[in-house]
Amino acid sequence: MKLPGWPWGILSLFSLAVLVLFVAYPISVLTLHSLQDAQGHLTFAGFATVFGEAQYLEAIVNTLLLGVAVTCTSMALGVPLAYVIARCDFPLKSLVAILPLVTIIIPEVIVGQSWLMMLGNNGLITNSLREVGVSLPSFYGWGGMIFSMTLIYYTYVYLGTLAALRGFDGQLEEASLSLGASPLATRIKVLLPTVAPAILVNALVVFTLVVGNFALSSMLGGQIPLLSVMTYSLFVSEMGSSPVLQSSLSVVMVLLVGVVLFFQKRVVERKMVQMTQGRAPAPRRAESWRGSLLALAAVVVVTLSLVPLIAVFVGAFTRARGPVMHWGQWSTQSIERAFALAPEPIINSMLFAGCATVLGTALALLVSYLVVKKKSSLSGVLDYVVVLPLTISGTVLGIALVQSFNTGALVLTGTSSIMIVCYVVRRLPFGVRNASSMLYNIQGSIEEASISLGVSPLMTFFKVVLPVIKTSILSAAILMWATSISELSASIVVYSGGLETLPISIFRLVDTGRLGLASAYGTVLVTLILVPLALAVKFFKINLFSVK
Amino acid sequence: MRFRWLTAAALSCAAFAVSAQTVVLYSSNNPEVIANAVASAKKQHPTLTVKQVTGGTGTLMKRIQAEAANAGGDILWSGGVGTLAAFTDVMESYQSPEAKAIPKQFQEAKNRYIGTNVHVMVLMVNDKQLKGLAAPKTWSDLMKPEWKGKVVITDPSKSGTAFIQIYGLLKQFGREGLEKIAANAVVVQSSGQVYKSVSAGEYPVGITIEASAYEFVAGGQKEIKLVYPSEGTYLGAEGMFIVKGAKNAAAAKQLYDVLLSKQAQELLLVENFRRPTRSDIAVSKLTSMPDLASLKVFPLDLQVATDEYEQLISMWNMAVAKAKR
Repeated sequence: MKLPGWPWGILSLFSLAVLVLFVAYPISVLTLHSLQDAQGHLTFAGFATVFGEAQYLEAIVNTLLLGVAVTCTSMALGVPLAYVIARCDFPLKSLVAILPLVTIIIPEVIVGQSWLMMLGNNGLITNSLREVGVSLPSFYGWGGMIFSMTLIYYTYVYLGTLAALRGFDGQLEEASLSLGASPLATRIKVLLPTVAPAILVNALVVFTLVVGNFALSSMLGGQIPLLSVMTYSLFVSEMGSSPVLQSSLSVVMVLLVGVVLFFQKRVVERKMVQMTQGRAPAPRRAESWRGSLLALAAVVVVTLSLVPLIAVFVGAFTRARGPVMHWGQWSTQSIERAFALAPEPIINSMLFAGCATVLGTALALLVSYLVVKKKSSLSGVLDYVVVLPLTISGTVLGIALVQSFNTGALVLTGTSSIMIVCYVVRRLPFGVRNASSMLYNIQGSIEEASISLGVSPLMTFFKVVLPVIKTSILSAAILMWATSISELSASIVVYSGGLETLPISIFRLVDTGRLGLASAYGTVLVTLILVPLALAVKFFKINLFSVK
Repeated sequence: MRFRWLTAAALSCAAFAVSAQTVVLYSSNNPEVIANAVASAKKQHPTLTVKQVTGGTGTLMKRIQAEAANAGGDILWSGGVGTLAAFTDVMESYQSPEAKAIPKQFQEAKNRYIGTNVHVMVLMVNDKQLKGLAAPKTWSDLMKPEWKGKVVITDPSKSGTAFIQIYGLLKQFGREGLEKIAANAVVVQSSGQVYKSVSAGEYPVGITIEASAYEFVAGGQKEIKLVYPSEGTYLGAEGMFIVKGAKNAAAAKQLYDVLLSKQAQELLLVENFRRPTRSDIAVSKLTSMPDLASLKVFPLDLQVATDEYEQLISMWNMAVAKAKR
C-alpha cells in the first residue's frame, strides 16, 4: 500500500502538528489571556497596569539595565580572552581554551548557590575577611548578579569571537602593517570591523539570556525587582484567579526578546564577514611580561568561573547541622541523606531528562532533516516555528504551558509529560541548529544513489544518512541531556507535588537555607552531567563542542 | 507513543497506591520532618506504608478540592488552622483516642481537624550585628526610631505565619503600631529570607517562627538568640485532617493517631523543633526552648483572622507605602 505523501509529507505534517500543539498554541493562549478579562471580554487592563504602575516599569527598566550591563561585562571578558587564546601561546593553553565550556554546562542553580556559600552574607570568604576586619558589600543585588552572570555568559562571547578570529585572514593584517599602519591601528581598523558582527551576534544572545534568567535573578537579586522573578511570583500568587496580569507581563518579555532576536537575525547576521581564504596568523609564544600577564589573566578568569564546581563538592562533604554549615569539618551525612531520605528528585531528573533526550533528539533530527533535505512549503513553515521557543524565556514557557494544558481536551499539568514537554521545547531550537549543521555536510548524491538502487527513502535515511552522522547525534544527545537535566525556570512553574527534579529541590533547599543537602544534590547533578560527557569523549572520541 | 507509556506508568503507580496498608499523605512539611514522621509511623505500625505527595498547603488544598469526587490523598498534614477552617467541607470527622492529651484550644468542635504542632512567633536576634543597641525585649521596642532598617519581616501576603505576625501586631497595637513597625521594617518576599538574613548578619533582628530560628541555635551558631516578646507572643497552630472519601480511611486513622502520639511529637520536637500540641510533653526538659505555659501569649482568633485577610493585607500595604513616602 502506498500512502500519498509518505513518508516525508506525512512526517512534515506530524512534526508541524507537534510544534503547533506545544509551541504555537501555548503562545497564542498566553497572548489571548493577556487581552481577556475574567468574563472573556477584550481588555487592555493588563498592559495598562504593566506600563502604568511603577513597580512593573521599574522591573522592565532594571531588566534592561541588567541585560546591558552583563552584555558589556561579558564582552569585556570574552573578547580579550578569545584574542589571547587565538593569538598567544602559553603553557596549559589547550586546557584553558576548553574549560570555559564547562561553565555553560554547570547548572545555574549551582552557580548561584556556590557563590552564596563563598561570598554571601554568611559565606566562607565573607566570614574569613570579616575576621580580619574587612567587610565586603552585600552580594545580593546588582553586584552579585552581574558578577555571577558574567562568569557564565562570557563563554558565549568567547566562543563566537574565537571562531571569528580563527577564520580571519592574517594576510589582511600583514597588508595593513606593510602599508605602514601601526599594530594598534591595524587591530582597530582591520581586525575589529571584521570580527565585530560575530561579537555582536553573541552579545545579543547574552542579552536575551540575561532577560530570561530566572535562577540567578531570584537567588541573588535581593530587593531588586526583575521581570522574570516578578512574572514567576505573579504566576504563583495568581494561581486560579484571572491570569491577565501574568500573561501581559509574559507577553512583554516575549516581545522584548523577540525584538532583539529579530534585530540580530535581520541586521547583524547579514553583516557577518565570510573569509574565503581564512589563514589565521599562528599564535605567538607569550614571552614578554605583557604576554605572560595576559596568559595569567586568562587562567584567572577561567579558574574563577570554575569555582562553583569546586565549592559544591566541598559543600556536599562539609558537616551541616540544620542550616548551619561547619566548614572544615567533614562528613558524608548530607550525601547519605540525599540518597536515603529523598532520592525522588534524583530519579525524577533522570527519568524526565532521559525521556526528553530521546524524544528531543529524535524530533530535532526529524525537523532538521525535513528542513535541510526535503524542502517544501510545509518544511518552510517548520523552519520558522522551530525557532519560536528562542523568544520565550523559561518562566514564560512554563506559564504558557500551564495555561494551555491545565484544562480542556489534553490535561498535562500534574503529570510527568508536562516536564518532558518543557525540556524538549526549550532545547529544540538548539538541537535543530546542531542537527542541521551536520546534515548540511552530507551530500544529497549518496542518498540518491541508495534510492536509485531500490531502497525506500525511509530505509535510506536509516541505512545511509544515520550511520554517517551517528557520533554527531550522540554528542547532540549528550548536550540535550546535560542542558535539560539542569533546566529550572520552566519546570519550576509547571511542576507539582511528586515531580520535583534536582534543580527544583536545590532551588527550594537554598531558599530555606539547607546548603548541605543542596550541595549534596548539586554534586549528584553535576556528576550526572559530567560522567556521560567524559565517557562519550573517551570512548566515542567525540569532539563535543564542535556542534555548539 | 509517549503518552501511552506514561499512562501505563501512571496506572501502575495508581495500582501500587491502593494496595493494602498504604496511606497517601499530602504534606507541605519539609522532607526531614516528613521522614521523621514516617519513621515514627513505621515504628508503631510496621506494616503501614506511607506514600507522600508534597507541595505548598494552598496547592494541596486546591488539589483536594479538585479531587473531591475521587479522593487521591487520604490525609493532609499540615496547614495553619486558619487556612484549614476554610476547607471543612472536604474533611472527614475523626475522634482520635490520642486527642485526650490535646488541649481544647487546639481541637475543632466537630473533630474535623486537630492541631499537631504550634508555631510561636519570636524575634530572632543576631548579637554580633546589634552594634551597641540593646537587644529588643518587646514588640514595641521595634517601633522605636533607632530600629529603622534593622528589622526584617516577611510580606504577609506571601506566608501564612507572616500573616499571623502582622495580624497580631494590628490587634495588639492597632493601626498606629502597625504603621510604626512598617516604618522600621525591611519587607522580604519569603519567610526563608528572614531567618537566613538574620543568621547571615544582614539584619540584627527578624520576626519569624520559633522552629526556624531555633534551628540556628541548635546548629551551633552562637550569636543567634531567640526573644519571646514580653508583651505577649502570637501562636499559630498547624493541624491535619482526614480527606473526605479517603480510599484508605483505616490506614489514614492509624497515621492520624501516630502524628498525635507522644512518641512522634517528641521526636519531631527534638529533631525538628516542632513544638507539640500535647500537654504531656515537657518542652523545656527535652530542648532549651521554654514551656508554652511559661510564655505570655496574646490570644488571637485565627478563624476571624482568615475572614479579615484581604482587609489586613491592604492595610499593611498602605502602611508600607506610607512609610516609603
